[in-house]
Amino acid sequence: MSDHSQSMGEGELVRLVRQGPLALLALNRPDKRNALTPEMLERLLTLLEAPEVLEARVIVLCGEGGVFCSGFDMRLVHADSRALSKLLTGLTGVVRAMRACPRPIVAAAHGAAVAGGCAVLAGADVVVTDRAAKLGYPVTRLGISPAVTVPGLLGMMSAGGARERTLDSGLISGEEAARTGLAHVCCDQPEDVIPKATRLAQHLAEKPGSAVAAMKGLLARLGSGPEDFELALRASLGLVGSGDQLARVAALWPMPGGERSGPQATS
Amino acid sequence: MSLATLSIDGPLARLTINRPEQRNALSLELLTALHVRVDELTAMTTPSPERTSAGPHVLALTGAGKAFCAGMDLKAVLGSAERSRRLLMLLAELTYKLRRLPMVVVAVVNGPAIGGGCGLVTVCDLQLTFTDNKMGFPEVDMGVCPAVVAPWLVRRIGPGRARQVLLSGGLMSGAEAHRLGMVTECVPTITDLAPAAEALLAQLAAGSADALRATKGLLNTLDGSEDWNTLEDAAKLSADVLNTPETQAMLTKKLGA
Repeated sequence: MSDHSQSMGEGELVRLVRQGPLALLALNRPDKRNALTPEMLERLLTLLEAPEVLEARVIVLCGEGGVFCSGFDMRLVHADSRALSKLLTGLTGVVRAMRACPRPIVAAAHGAAVAGGCAVLAGADVVVTDRAAKLGYPVTRLGISPAVTVPGLLGMMSAGGARERTLDSGLISGEEAARTGLAHVCCDQPEDVIPKATRLAQHLAEKPGSAVAAMKGLLARLGSGPEDFELALRASLGLVGSGDQLARVAALWPMPGGERSGPQATS
Repeated sequence: MSLATLSIDGPLARLTINRPEQRNALSLELLTALHVRVDELTAMTTPSPERTSAGPHVLALTGAGKAFCAGMDLKAVLGSAERSRRLLMLLAELTYKLRRLPMVVVAVVNGPAIGGGCGLVTVCDLQLTFTDNKMGFPEVDMGVCPAVVAPWLVRRIGPGRARQVLLSGGLMSGAEAHRLGMVTECVPTITDLAPAAEALLAQLAAGSADALRATKGLLNTLDGSEDWNTLEDAAKLSADVLNTPETQAMLTKKLGA
Protein backbone atom coordinates (compact mmCIF):
# COMPACT_ATOMS: atom_id res chain seq x y z
CA MET A 1 0.00 0.00 0.00
CA SER A 2 1.20 3.60 -0.63
CA ASP A 3 2.78 6.00 1.86
CA HIS A 4 -0.43 8.00 1.89
CA SER A 5 -2.49 5.18 3.23
CA GLN A 6 -3.91 4.78 6.68
CA SER A 7 -4.48 1.21 7.63
CA MET A 8 -6.88 0.02 10.28
CA GLY A 9 -7.06 -3.46 11.71
CA GLU A 10 -3.88 -5.10 10.36
CA GLY A 11 -4.77 -8.40 11.96
CA GLU A 12 -8.37 -8.33 10.84
CA LEU A 13 -9.89 -10.63 8.28
CA VAL A 14 -11.21 -7.63 6.37
CA ARG A 15 -8.84 -4.67 6.32
CA LEU A 16 -9.77 -1.07 5.66
CA VAL A 17 -7.08 1.01 4.02
CA ARG A 18 -7.74 4.69 3.28
CA GLN A 19 -5.79 5.86 0.24
CA GLY A 20 -6.52 9.50 -0.62
CA PRO A 21 -10.12 9.64 -1.85
CA LEU A 22 -10.38 5.84 -1.87
CA ALA A 23 -11.37 3.33 0.77
CA LEU A 24 -9.91 -0.09 0.05
CA LEU A 25 -11.76 -2.99 1.66
CA ALA A 26 -9.41 -5.95 1.46
CA LEU A 27 -10.38 -9.52 2.27
CA ASN A 28 -7.43 -10.61 4.37
CA ARG A 29 -7.30 -14.37 4.71
CA PRO A 30 -4.86 -15.21 1.92
CA ASP A 31 -3.76 -18.55 3.37
CA LYS A 32 -7.37 -19.73 2.95
CA ARG A 33 -7.88 -18.05 -0.43
CA ASN A 34 -10.06 -15.46 1.36
CA ALA A 35 -12.69 -18.09 2.15
CA LEU A 36 -15.60 -16.29 3.80
CA THR A 37 -16.72 -16.69 7.41
CA PRO A 38 -19.86 -15.12 8.93
CA GLU A 39 -17.58 -12.73 10.85
CA MET A 40 -15.96 -11.48 7.64
CA LEU A 41 -19.37 -10.76 6.12
CA GLU A 42 -20.48 -8.96 9.29
CA ARG A 43 -17.28 -6.93 9.23
CA LEU A 44 -17.83 -6.01 5.57
CA LEU A 45 -21.38 -4.93 6.36
CA THR A 46 -20.18 -2.76 9.24
CA LEU A 47 -17.45 -1.20 7.12
CA LEU A 48 -19.85 -0.39 4.28
CA GLU A 49 -21.84 1.76 6.68
CA ALA A 50 -18.87 3.16 8.65
CA PRO A 51 -18.19 6.94 8.62
CA GLU A 52 -14.53 6.46 7.73
CA VAL A 53 -15.58 4.57 4.59
CA LEU A 54 -18.47 6.82 3.64
CA GLU A 55 -16.16 9.85 3.84
CA ALA A 56 -14.15 8.35 1.00
CA ARG A 57 -15.33 9.06 -2.53
CA VAL A 58 -14.98 5.56 -3.99
CA ILE A 59 -14.67 2.09 -2.47
CA VAL A 60 -12.41 -0.63 -3.88
CA LEU A 61 -13.21 -4.20 -2.82
CA CYS A 62 -10.26 -6.55 -3.24
CA GLY A 63 -8.53 -9.58 -1.81
CA GLU A 64 -5.01 -10.20 -0.47
CA GLY A 65 -2.99 -13.05 -1.89
CA GLY A 66 -3.42 -15.10 -5.04
CA VAL A 67 -7.19 -14.85 -5.52
CA PHE A 68 -10.05 -12.48 -4.74
CA CYS A 69 -12.27 -14.99 -2.94
CA SER A 70 -12.86 -18.74 -3.11
CA GLY A 71 -16.33 -18.62 -1.54
CA PHE A 72 -17.73 -19.79 1.78
CA ASP A 73 -15.36 -21.54 4.19
CA MET A 74 -16.64 -25.08 3.60
CA ARG A 75 -14.64 -26.56 6.45
CA LEU A 76 -16.54 -24.23 8.75
CA VAL A 77 -19.83 -25.12 7.06
CA HIS A 78 -19.10 -28.79 7.70
CA ALA A 79 -18.07 -28.24 11.33
CA ASP A 80 -20.76 -25.80 12.43
CA SER A 81 -24.38 -26.54 11.56
CA ARG A 82 -25.37 -22.89 11.85
CA ALA A 83 -22.62 -21.52 9.63
CA LEU A 84 -24.23 -21.99 6.23
CA SER A 85 -27.41 -20.08 7.13
CA LYS A 86 -25.33 -17.27 8.62
CA LEU A 87 -23.17 -17.14 5.51
CA LEU A 88 -26.15 -17.04 3.12
CA THR A 89 -27.89 -14.36 5.17
CA GLY A 90 -24.66 -12.40 5.59
CA LEU A 91 -23.94 -12.61 1.87
CA THR A 92 -27.26 -11.16 0.79
CA GLY A 93 -26.90 -8.45 3.43
CA VAL A 94 -23.52 -7.44 2.02
CA VAL A 95 -24.73 -7.37 -1.61
CA ARG A 96 -27.74 -5.26 -0.66
CA ALA A 97 -25.57 -2.90 1.39
CA MET A 98 -23.13 -2.52 -1.52
CA ARG A 99 -25.98 -1.63 -3.87
CA ALA A 100 -27.48 0.78 -1.33
CA CYS A 101 -24.13 2.43 -0.61
CA PRO A 102 -24.01 5.94 -2.05
CA ARG A 103 -20.33 5.58 -2.99
CA PRO A 104 -19.45 3.73 -6.19
CA ILE A 105 -17.73 0.39 -5.63
CA VAL A 106 -15.04 -1.09 -7.86
CA ALA A 107 -14.37 -4.80 -7.31
CA ALA A 108 -10.92 -6.18 -8.12
CA ALA A 109 -11.67 -9.87 -8.77
CA HIS A 110 -8.25 -11.28 -9.55
CA GLY A 111 -7.44 -14.97 -9.93
CA ALA A 112 -10.74 -16.41 -8.75
CA ALA A 113 -14.17 -15.20 -7.60
CA VAL A 114 -16.05 -18.35 -6.87
CA ALA A 115 -19.45 -19.11 -5.32
CA GLY A 116 -19.95 -16.60 -2.48
CA GLY A 117 -16.89 -14.80 -3.85
CA CYS A 118 -18.63 -14.43 -7.20
CA ALA A 119 -21.90 -13.39 -5.58
CA VAL A 120 -20.38 -10.33 -3.91
CA LEU A 121 -19.41 -8.97 -7.33
CA ALA A 122 -23.09 -8.33 -8.01
CA GLY A 123 -22.98 -5.57 -5.41
CA ALA A 124 -20.21 -3.72 -7.23
CA ASP A 125 -20.64 -1.04 -9.86
CA VAL A 126 -17.54 -1.97 -11.85
CA VAL A 127 -15.92 -5.40 -11.82
CA VAL A 128 -12.32 -5.82 -12.93
CA THR A 129 -10.89 -9.28 -13.50
CA ASP A 130 -8.13 -11.00 -15.47
CA ARG A 131 -8.34 -13.20 -18.58
CA ALA A 132 -7.51 -16.47 -16.88
CA ALA A 133 -9.45 -15.85 -13.66
CA LYS A 134 -12.06 -18.41 -12.65
CA LEU A 135 -15.62 -17.29 -11.90
CA GLY A 136 -18.87 -19.11 -11.29
CA TYR A 137 -21.01 -21.09 -8.87
CA PRO A 138 -19.85 -24.69 -8.39
CA VAL A 139 -22.31 -25.16 -5.53
CA THR A 140 -25.28 -27.27 -6.59
CA ARG A 141 -23.03 -30.33 -6.35
CA LEU A 142 -22.79 -29.47 -2.62
CA GLY A 143 -26.57 -29.40 -2.26
CA ILE A 144 -26.45 -25.62 -2.00
CA SER A 145 -28.70 -23.52 -4.20
CA PRO A 146 -27.19 -20.30 -5.57
CA ALA A 147 -30.72 -18.81 -5.69
CA VAL A 148 -29.56 -16.18 -3.18
CA THR A 149 -27.35 -14.59 -5.84
CA VAL A 150 -29.99 -14.34 -8.60
CA PRO A 151 -31.42 -10.86 -7.83
CA GLY A 152 -27.87 -9.49 -7.89
CA LEU A 153 -27.03 -11.28 -11.14
CA LEU A 154 -30.18 -9.93 -12.76
CA GLY A 155 -28.69 -6.50 -12.15
CA MET A 156 -25.60 -7.43 -14.21
CA MET A 157 -26.79 -9.56 -17.10
CA SER A 158 -29.80 -10.95 -18.97
CA ALA A 159 -32.10 -13.38 -17.19
CA GLY A 160 -30.77 -16.07 -19.53
CA GLY A 161 -27.22 -15.29 -18.41
CA ALA A 162 -28.22 -15.54 -14.74
CA ARG A 163 -30.00 -18.82 -15.49
CA GLU A 164 -26.92 -20.24 -17.17
CA ARG A 165 -24.53 -19.17 -14.42
CA THR A 166 -26.62 -20.61 -11.60
CA LEU A 167 -27.72 -23.90 -13.20
CA ASP A 168 -24.42 -24.76 -14.93
CA SER A 169 -21.93 -25.37 -12.13
CA GLY A 170 -18.90 -25.06 -14.42
CA LEU A 171 -16.47 -22.17 -13.95
CA ILE A 172 -15.87 -19.61 -16.69
CA SER A 173 -12.81 -17.52 -17.48
CA GLY A 174 -12.47 -13.82 -16.74
CA GLU A 175 -12.55 -13.23 -20.48
CA GLU A 176 -15.89 -15.04 -20.79
CA ALA A 177 -17.15 -13.20 -17.69
CA ALA A 178 -16.41 -9.85 -19.33
CA ARG A 179 -18.15 -11.01 -22.52
CA THR A 180 -21.34 -11.95 -20.65
CA GLY A 181 -21.57 -9.08 -18.17
CA LEU A 182 -20.38 -10.87 -15.03
CA ALA A 183 -17.32 -8.59 -15.21
CA HIS A 184 -16.75 -5.29 -17.00
CA VAL A 185 -13.00 -4.88 -17.44
CA CYS A 186 -10.55 -7.66 -18.22
CA CYS A 187 -6.81 -7.31 -17.60
CA ASP A 188 -4.17 -9.52 -19.14
CA GLN A 189 -2.57 -10.61 -15.87
CA PRO A 190 -3.90 -11.10 -12.33
CA GLU A 191 -1.30 -8.72 -10.91
CA ASP A 192 -2.70 -5.92 -13.12
CA VAL A 193 -6.18 -6.17 -11.57
CA ILE A 194 -5.82 -4.27 -8.31
CA PRO A 195 -3.77 -1.45 -9.89
CA LYS A 196 -6.34 -1.16 -12.70
CA ALA A 197 -9.24 -1.16 -10.24
CA THR A 198 -7.49 1.51 -8.18
CA ARG A 199 -6.90 3.70 -11.26
CA LEU A 200 -10.56 3.33 -12.29
CA ALA A 201 -11.60 4.24 -8.77
CA GLN A 202 -9.37 7.35 -8.82
CA HIS A 203 -11.03 8.36 -12.08
CA LEU A 204 -14.51 7.85 -10.56
CA ALA A 205 -13.42 9.84 -7.51
CA GLU A 206 -13.01 12.94 -9.68
CA LYS A 207 -16.71 12.97 -10.57
CA PRO A 208 -19.20 14.95 -8.48
CA GLY A 209 -20.20 12.66 -5.64
CA SER A 210 -23.83 13.73 -5.46
CA ALA A 211 -24.46 12.98 -9.13
CA VAL A 212 -22.90 9.56 -8.85
CA ALA A 213 -24.84 8.79 -5.67
CA ALA A 214 -28.12 9.87 -7.26
CA MET A 215 -27.53 7.74 -10.33
CA LYS A 216 -26.60 4.76 -8.21
CA GLY A 217 -29.72 5.18 -6.12
CA LEU A 218 -31.97 5.27 -9.18
CA LEU A 219 -30.36 2.20 -10.72
CA ALA A 220 -30.92 0.31 -7.47
CA ARG A 221 -34.61 1.29 -7.50
CA LEU A 222 -34.96 0.07 -11.09
CA GLY A 223 -33.43 -3.28 -10.25
CA SER A 224 -34.35 -6.15 -7.95
CA GLY A 225 -36.24 -4.96 -4.88
CA PRO A 226 -36.11 -6.11 -1.25
CA GLU A 227 -38.86 -8.69 -1.81
CA ASP A 228 -36.84 -10.35 -4.58
CA PHE A 229 -33.71 -10.51 -2.40
CA GLU A 230 -35.72 -11.96 0.48
CA LEU A 231 -37.42 -14.54 -1.72
CA ALA A 232 -34.08 -15.60 -3.19
CA LEU A 233 -32.48 -15.91 0.25
CA ARG A 234 -35.39 -18.06 1.48
CA ALA A 235 -35.01 -20.31 -1.57
CA SER A 236 -31.36 -20.98 -0.64
CA LEU A 237 -32.02 -21.23 3.11
CA GLY A 238 -34.74 -23.81 2.47
CA LEU A 239 -32.16 -26.45 1.57
CA VAL A 240 -29.80 -25.85 4.49
CA GLY A 241 -29.54 -28.80 6.85
CA SER A 242 -31.23 -31.27 4.50
CA GLY A 243 -29.86 -34.80 4.40
CA ASP A 244 -28.74 -34.30 0.81
CA GLN A 245 -26.93 -31.04 1.57
CA LEU A 246 -25.18 -32.40 4.67
CA ALA A 247 -24.07 -35.56 2.86
CA ARG A 248 -22.71 -33.69 -0.13
CA VAL A 249 -20.69 -31.27 2.03
CA ALA A 250 -19.41 -34.16 4.17
CA ALA A 251 -18.21 -35.87 0.99
CA LEU A 252 -15.65 -33.07 0.54
CA TRP A 253 -13.65 -34.63 3.36
CA PRO A 254 -12.39 -38.18 3.10
CA MET A 255 -13.02 -41.00 5.49
CA PRO A 256 -9.80 -41.84 7.39
CA GLY A 257 -7.37 -43.55 5.04
CA GLY A 258 -9.49 -42.75 1.97
CA GLU A 259 -8.76 -40.63 -1.12
CA ARG A 260 -9.86 -37.01 -0.94
CA SER A 261 -12.91 -36.75 -3.05
CA GLY A 262 -15.44 -34.14 -3.97
CA PRO A 263 -15.03 -30.93 -5.92
CA GLN A 264 -12.40 -28.28 -5.31
CA ALA A 265 -13.58 -24.70 -5.53
CA THR A 266 -10.93 -23.71 -8.03
CA SER A 267 -8.02 -25.36 -9.81
CA MET B 1 -43.11 -45.11 -33.46
CA SER B 2 -44.27 -42.06 -31.54
CA LEU B 3 -43.76 -38.52 -32.82
CA ALA B 4 -42.10 -37.71 -29.49
CA THR B 5 -40.01 -40.33 -27.73
CA LEU B 6 -39.07 -40.22 -24.06
CA SER B 7 -36.49 -42.32 -22.25
CA ILE B 8 -35.49 -42.17 -18.57
CA ASP B 9 -32.15 -43.21 -17.10
CA GLY B 10 -32.21 -42.39 -13.39
CA PRO B 11 -31.80 -38.64 -12.98
CA LEU B 12 -31.61 -38.00 -16.74
CA ALA B 13 -34.54 -37.98 -19.15
CA ARG B 14 -34.25 -37.62 -22.94
CA LEU B 15 -37.04 -36.27 -25.12
CA THR B 16 -36.63 -36.53 -28.87
CA ILE B 17 -38.74 -34.73 -31.44
CA ASN B 18 -39.37 -37.52 -33.92
CA ARG B 19 -40.70 -36.39 -37.31
CA PRO B 20 -37.44 -36.41 -39.25
CA GLU B 21 -38.99 -36.74 -42.70
CA GLN B 22 -40.53 -33.28 -42.16
CA ARG B 23 -37.44 -31.91 -40.35
CA ASN B 24 -39.40 -32.17 -37.09
CA ALA B 25 -41.82 -29.43 -38.17
CA LEU B 26 -44.42 -28.87 -35.46
CA SER B 27 -47.82 -30.14 -36.59
CA LEU B 28 -50.89 -30.42 -34.35
CA GLU B 29 -50.13 -34.13 -33.93
CA LEU B 30 -46.46 -33.59 -33.05
CA LEU B 31 -47.27 -30.84 -30.56
CA THR B 32 -49.90 -33.06 -28.99
CA ALA B 33 -47.37 -35.91 -28.68
CA LEU B 34 -44.85 -33.54 -27.06
CA HIS B 35 -47.51 -32.45 -24.59
CA VAL B 36 -48.19 -36.08 -23.66
CA ARG B 37 -44.49 -36.64 -22.94
CA VAL B 38 -44.05 -33.42 -20.99
CA ASP B 39 -47.16 -34.25 -18.95
CA GLU B 40 -45.60 -37.66 -18.16
CA LEU B 41 -42.46 -35.88 -16.95
CA THR B 42 -44.50 -33.46 -14.88
CA ALA B 43 -46.31 -36.39 -13.24
CA MET B 44 -42.99 -38.13 -12.52
CA THR B 45 -41.54 -35.07 -10.83
CA THR B 46 -44.54 -34.05 -8.78
CA PRO B 47 -44.19 -35.12 -5.15
CA SER B 48 -46.81 -37.59 -3.99
CA PRO B 49 -47.25 -39.92 -1.03
CA GLU B 50 -47.01 -42.97 -3.30
CA ARG B 51 -43.74 -42.09 -4.96
CA THR B 52 -40.55 -42.16 -2.87
CA SER B 53 -38.16 -40.71 -5.43
CA ALA B 54 -38.68 -37.32 -7.02
CA GLY B 55 -38.00 -38.43 -10.58
CA PRO B 56 -35.39 -37.26 -13.08
CA HIS B 57 -34.06 -33.72 -12.62
CA VAL B 58 -32.35 -33.25 -15.99
CA LEU B 59 -34.01 -33.29 -19.43
CA ALA B 60 -32.16 -33.39 -22.74
CA LEU B 61 -34.32 -32.18 -25.65
CA THR B 62 -33.16 -32.94 -29.17
CA GLY B 63 -34.37 -33.75 -32.67
CA ALA B 64 -34.27 -37.00 -34.63
CA GLY B 65 -32.47 -36.84 -37.94
CA LYS B 66 -30.70 -33.81 -39.37
CA ALA B 67 -32.82 -31.04 -37.92
CA PHE B 68 -33.66 -30.00 -34.37
CA CYS B 69 -37.00 -28.49 -35.43
CA ALA B 70 -37.74 -26.62 -38.64
CA GLY B 71 -40.62 -24.65 -37.09
CA MET B 72 -44.39 -24.61 -37.18
CA ASP B 73 -46.02 -26.74 -39.85
CA LEU B 74 -48.01 -23.87 -41.28
CA LYS B 75 -48.89 -25.68 -44.49
CA ALA B 76 -51.07 -28.03 -42.46
CA VAL B 77 -53.16 -25.21 -40.97
CA LEU B 78 -53.44 -22.89 -43.99
CA GLY B 79 -56.98 -21.84 -44.67
CA SER B 80 -58.26 -22.88 -41.25
CA ALA B 81 -58.36 -20.09 -38.67
CA GLU B 82 -59.41 -22.57 -36.02
CA ARG B 83 -56.53 -24.98 -36.66
CA SER B 84 -53.95 -22.22 -36.74
CA ARG B 85 -55.23 -20.84 -33.44
CA ARG B 86 -55.01 -24.31 -31.95
CA LEU B 87 -51.48 -24.80 -33.29
CA LEU B 88 -50.22 -21.58 -31.75
CA MET B 89 -51.96 -22.20 -28.44
CA LEU B 90 -50.44 -25.70 -28.27
CA LEU B 91 -46.99 -24.16 -28.84
CA ALA B 92 -47.54 -21.51 -26.18
CA GLU B 93 -48.74 -24.11 -23.67
CA LEU B 94 -45.82 -26.39 -24.43
CA THR B 95 -43.24 -23.65 -23.86
CA TYR B 96 -44.93 -22.78 -20.58
CA LYS B 97 -44.95 -26.39 -19.40
CA LEU B 98 -41.28 -26.92 -20.36
CA ARG B 99 -40.27 -23.84 -18.41
CA ARG B 100 -42.16 -24.99 -15.35
CA LEU B 101 -40.74 -28.53 -15.32
CA PRO B 102 -38.78 -28.99 -12.08
CA MET B 103 -35.85 -30.18 -14.19
CA VAL B 104 -32.87 -28.51 -15.84
CA VAL B 105 -33.84 -28.63 -19.51
CA VAL B 106 -30.94 -28.75 -21.98
CA ALA B 107 -31.53 -28.24 -25.69
CA VAL B 108 -29.06 -30.29 -27.72
CA VAL B 109 -29.49 -28.41 -30.99
CA ASN B 110 -28.36 -31.04 -33.46
CA GLY B 111 -29.49 -29.19 -36.58
CA PRO B 112 -31.62 -26.29 -37.84
CA ALA B 113 -33.88 -24.70 -35.22
CA ILE B 114 -36.20 -22.24 -36.91
CA GLY B 115 -39.09 -20.09 -35.79
CA GLY B 116 -41.16 -22.06 -33.28
CA GLY B 117 -38.36 -24.63 -33.27
CA CYS B 118 -35.92 -21.92 -32.20
CA GLY B 119 -38.49 -20.85 -29.63
CA LEU B 120 -38.26 -24.32 -28.06
CA VAL B 121 -34.49 -23.85 -27.86
CA THR B 122 -34.91 -20.47 -26.20
CA VAL B 123 -37.25 -21.66 -23.45
CA CYS B 124 -34.75 -24.31 -22.34
CA ASP B 125 -32.40 -23.54 -19.45
CA LEU B 126 -29.16 -24.35 -21.28
CA GLN B 127 -28.47 -24.91 -24.98
CA LEU B 128 -25.64 -26.39 -26.99
CA THR B 129 -25.15 -26.17 -30.73
CA PHE B 130 -22.33 -26.12 -33.28
CA THR B 131 -20.75 -23.27 -35.24
CA ASP B 132 -22.28 -23.82 -38.66
CA ASN B 133 -25.79 -24.66 -37.55
CA LYS B 134 -28.70 -22.53 -38.77
CA MET B 135 -31.00 -20.92 -36.23
CA GLY B 136 -33.29 -17.97 -35.97
CA PHE B 137 -36.66 -16.36 -36.23
CA PRO B 138 -37.59 -15.65 -39.87
CA GLU B 139 -41.27 -15.18 -38.99
CA VAL B 140 -41.46 -11.57 -40.13
CA ASP B 141 -40.15 -12.64 -43.55
CA MET B 142 -43.13 -14.98 -43.87
CA GLY B 143 -45.69 -12.39 -42.78
CA VAL B 144 -46.03 -14.14 -39.44
CA CYS B 145 -45.60 -12.58 -36.00
CA PRO B 146 -43.21 -14.38 -33.59
CA ALA B 147 -45.26 -13.39 -30.57
CA VAL B 148 -45.15 -16.65 -28.62
CA VAL B 149 -41.36 -16.91 -28.76
CA ALA B 150 -40.81 -13.23 -27.96
CA PRO B 151 -41.16 -13.34 -24.14
CA TRP B 152 -38.78 -16.30 -23.97
CA LEU B 153 -36.23 -14.61 -26.19
CA VAL B 154 -36.37 -11.43 -24.11
CA ARG B 155 -35.78 -13.47 -20.96
CA ARG B 156 -32.86 -15.22 -22.59
CA ILE B 157 -30.93 -12.40 -24.29
CA GLY B 158 -32.51 -9.20 -23.00
CA PRO B 159 -34.97 -6.83 -24.65
CA GLY B 160 -32.49 -4.91 -26.80
CA ARG B 161 -31.05 -7.92 -28.56
CA ALA B 162 -34.47 -9.59 -28.80
CA ARG B 163 -35.77 -6.52 -30.59
CA GLN B 164 -32.90 -6.69 -33.07
CA VAL B 165 -33.28 -10.43 -33.69
CA LEU B 166 -37.07 -10.57 -34.04
CA LEU B 167 -37.42 -7.52 -36.23
CA SER B 168 -34.54 -8.54 -38.51
CA GLY B 169 -35.92 -11.97 -39.34
CA GLY B 170 -33.60 -14.17 -41.37
CA LEU B 171 -31.35 -16.86 -39.97
CA MET B 172 -28.02 -16.87 -38.16
CA SER B 173 -25.24 -19.34 -37.56
CA GLY B 174 -24.77 -21.29 -34.34
CA ALA B 175 -21.72 -19.12 -33.66
CA GLU B 176 -23.76 -15.93 -33.99
CA ALA B 177 -26.51 -17.42 -31.80
CA HIS B 178 -23.88 -18.07 -29.14
CA ARG B 179 -22.46 -14.57 -29.45
CA LEU B 180 -25.93 -13.12 -28.88
CA GLY B 181 -26.54 -15.36 -25.87
CA MET B 182 -29.27 -17.43 -27.53
CA VAL B 183 -27.30 -20.61 -26.82
CA THR B 184 -25.05 -21.14 -23.83
CA GLU B 185 -22.43 -23.28 -25.55
CA CYS B 186 -21.22 -23.60 -29.14
CA VAL B 187 -18.85 -26.36 -30.27
CA PRO B 188 -16.81 -26.29 -33.50
CA THR B 189 -18.52 -29.09 -35.45
CA ILE B 190 -21.53 -31.42 -35.23
CA THR B 191 -19.28 -34.31 -34.16
CA ASP B 192 -18.22 -32.30 -31.10
CA LEU B 193 -21.83 -31.79 -30.04
CA ALA B 194 -22.69 -35.14 -28.46
CA PRO B 195 -19.54 -35.38 -26.27
CA ALA B 196 -20.02 -31.81 -25.05
CA ALA B 197 -23.70 -32.42 -24.35
CA GLU B 198 -23.02 -35.67 -22.49
CA ALA B 199 -20.40 -33.96 -20.33
CA LEU B 200 -22.84 -31.19 -19.38
CA LEU B 201 -25.70 -33.64 -18.79
CA ALA B 202 -23.47 -35.78 -16.56
CA GLN B 203 -22.43 -32.74 -14.54
CA LEU B 204 -26.08 -31.76 -14.07
CA ALA B 205 -27.18 -35.32 -13.28
CA ALA B 206 -24.53 -35.55 -10.54
CA GLY B 207 -25.67 -32.28 -8.98
CA SER B 208 -28.23 -32.07 -6.22
CA ALA B 209 -31.76 -32.37 -7.59
CA ASP B 210 -33.10 -30.26 -4.71
CA ALA B 211 -30.57 -27.48 -5.28
CA LEU B 212 -31.16 -27.39 -9.04
CA ARG B 213 -34.94 -27.43 -8.64
CA ALA B 214 -34.91 -24.67 -6.01
CA THR B 215 -32.67 -22.55 -8.24
CA LYS B 216 -34.83 -23.02 -11.32
CA GLY B 217 -37.99 -22.29 -9.34
CA LEU B 218 -36.58 -19.03 -8.04
CA LEU B 219 -35.30 -18.01 -11.48
CA ASN B 220 -38.78 -18.62 -12.92
CA THR B 221 -40.38 -16.50 -10.19
CA LEU B 222 -38.01 -13.59 -10.69
CA ASP B 223 -37.80 -13.46 -14.50
CA GLY B 224 -41.48 -13.50 -15.38
CA SER B 225 -41.64 -17.13 -16.52
CA GLU B 226 -44.75 -17.74 -14.43
CA ASP B 227 -46.79 -15.25 -16.47
CA TRP B 228 -49.24 -17.29 -18.57
CA ASN B 229 -51.47 -14.37 -19.59
CA THR B 230 -48.81 -12.74 -21.77
CA LEU B 231 -48.20 -16.03 -23.57
CA GLU B 232 -51.89 -16.64 -24.11
CA ASP B 233 -52.31 -13.15 -25.57
CA ALA B 234 -49.24 -13.75 -27.74
CA ALA B 235 -50.70 -16.97 -29.14
CA LYS B 236 -53.93 -15.15 -30.02
CA LEU B 237 -52.02 -12.28 -31.61
CA SER B 238 -49.92 -14.64 -33.68
CA ALA B 239 -53.01 -16.48 -34.86
CA ASP B 240 -54.75 -13.24 -35.78
CA VAL B 241 -51.78 -12.16 -37.91
CA LEU B 242 -51.48 -15.61 -39.45
CA ASN B 243 -55.14 -15.55 -40.43
CA THR B 244 -55.07 -12.21 -42.26
CA PRO B 245 -55.74 -12.55 -46.01
CA GLU B 246 -52.38 -10.95 -46.77
CA THR B 247 -50.43 -13.52 -44.73
CA GLN B 248 -52.52 -16.43 -45.95
CA ALA B 249 -51.84 -15.38 -49.56
CA MET B 250 -48.09 -14.99 -48.90
CA LEU B 251 -47.85 -18.35 -47.15
CA THR B 252 -49.88 -20.12 -49.83
CA LYS B 253 -47.42 -18.79 -52.39
CA LYS B 254 -44.27 -19.55 -50.30
CA LEU B 255 -45.34 -22.99 -49.12
CA GLY B 256 -46.74 -24.05 -52.47
CA ALA B 257 -49.96 -25.22 -50.84
